[in-house]
Amino acid sequence: MQLNSLIIDENNMGFIPSTGATFQLNETGKEILSLLKDGVDKDTIVETLSKKYNIDEKELFIDVSDFLYKLKIYGFEI
Amino acid sequence: MSYQKPTINRVDFAMASKYGSPLKTQKIRENINGISVRELTEKYGSPLFVYSQKEIENKYNTLYNAFSSRYPNIQFGWSYKTNYLNAICNIFHKLGSIAEVVSEFEYEKARNLGIEGKNIIFNGPYKPKEALKIAVQEGAKIHIDHLFEINDLEDIADELGVTIPVAIRVNMDTGIYPQWSRFGFNYESGEAYEAVRRIHKNKKLYLTGLHSHIGTFMLDANAYKLETAKLMQLKAQIEADFGYEIEYIDIGGGFASKNHLKGVYQSPEVIVPTADDYAEAITSAIYENNKSEKLPKLYLETGRHLVDEAGYLLTSVWGYKRFPDGKKGYILDAGVNLLYTATWYNFNIELDKRYEGINEPSMLNGPLCMNIDIINENIMLPALERGTVLTISPVGAYNYTQSMQFIRYRPKVVLIDNDSNVHIIKDDDDLSTINYKERLPEYLELNK
Ligand SMILES: Cc1ncc(COP(=O)(O)O)c(C=O)c1O
Repeated sequence: MQLNSLIIDENNMGFIPSTGATFQLNETGKEILSLLKDGVDKDTIVETLSKKYNIDEKELFIDVSDFLYKLKIYGFEI
Repeated sequence: MSYQKPTINRVDFAMASKYGSPLKTQKIRENINGISVRELTEKYGSPLFVYSQKEIENKYNTLYNAFSSRYPNIQFGWSYKTNYLNAICNIFHKLGSIAEVVSEFEYEKARNLGIEGKNIIFNGPYKPKEALKIAVQEGAKIHIDHLFEINDLEDIADELGVTIPVAIRVNMDTGIYPQWSRFGFNYESGEAYEAVRRIHKNKKLYLTGLHSHIGTFMLDANAYKLETAKLMQLKAQIEADFGYEIEYIDIGGGFASKNHLKGVYQSPEVIVPTADDYAEAITSAIYENNKSEKLPKLYLETGRHLVDEAGYLLTSVWGYKRFPDGKKGYILDAGVNLLYTATWYNFNIELDKRYEGINEPSMLNGPLCMNIDIINENIMLPALERGTVLTISPVGAYNYTQSMQFIRYRPKVVLIDNDSNVHIIKDDDDLSTINYKERLPEYLELNK
């Protein structure tokens, strides 16, 4: 599945029109997805969020890895 | 906007409509009897067993009143094996309970706490002869389990030159499966009557009581009505045939707590009988079946029902990972070594505060390097942090007494008294606790 095929609405619901699969995201999840769609790599995502939220990169690395792993488990190509 | 741990969940509409809104619900417990769970773990360490005296007393008083408002002659006996921490036993003794023990060790523990022999009920299939003799000398209530024990007691009667008052344990069909037919003498087959005939024949022992314990976590109050009716019918028959005066019947323990048995889908609030249900079933059966002028004294050996909900285990999140099947796996600092009853119950698991974000399927694992160390295999949780304190309950019954020294040291146990003071009632183990009785042969010592 292409990440670009996932359409996210204002309630943070994600939808893939071709398969009907539906996802629920939170704000940070949505933010990471849009960075991924722009082609930003993992380390840069960690850096960006770390600066924005003033959170230690080492901790953010755990959360971002976890999120990316889950996207993979759901079958997204990243 | 503040940071939330990133989450994405596939939405399964079938699940959502069946379970309501599992994506949002969070069970939260910030404190126990007004004391914050964070404060408790900061001060006493994590994991931590916590008992509430107030909860024990509430349960005791409710159950006691349910019986004493219906029946004039009630005595509770605290079932030591359910929880024999000294402080817990003494809360029950101060409330008026005598002791119910099932081994020489528990007997010694009760005596050591200052309970007189006459206030100890001695049950169980294995009573070493030396222990039995001490119990006889100290006037304990001995509940005979099998014919060998009758022989042992007759030997002791000869040796001491006394006749010994005894009771027998009776097992029976009360419609409950599994039937606990392993203990005592069977009612329906006539074995119990035959045991009394055997006792009567030698005149070295005399029968003063009848005991039965039909099982544990009994969700059907009516089983007690059948049990009590059968004991009362046996009592009448024995009194008529042998001339004994049966002073008491003991209906054992087994009342359920508000715990959640695995495989049972209704909530405990719906299916667990109330104290009044149990009391009505038992006392009405005594009145309906009583054939003698005097009503017998009624003993109860309630364990679980009185202490389960008074016990909590606090545990902290140490880390988490994502499993290949998509589930989130949390590593906690408490495992099945401390939660023996995790095999049978789905505990209530509460968070120390509200967490941002949506729930996802998660698994709670303990710290043991063992695949079986699972506290909850499938639970919907929001993204927790390292250090989140979870409260697991009810764990007051059969957990601490069956907890194992295994892989990690056992934690501290604290009691919150009625004025919200916290007392350490057992210290955590350390290397010396574990090495205490070990011996190392000299030739195996290193560096010698
Ligand atoms: C003889 C006897 N009495 C009392 C109890 C206490 O049972 P519960 O904790 O179910 O009330 C037990 C438990 O197995 C028992 O074997």
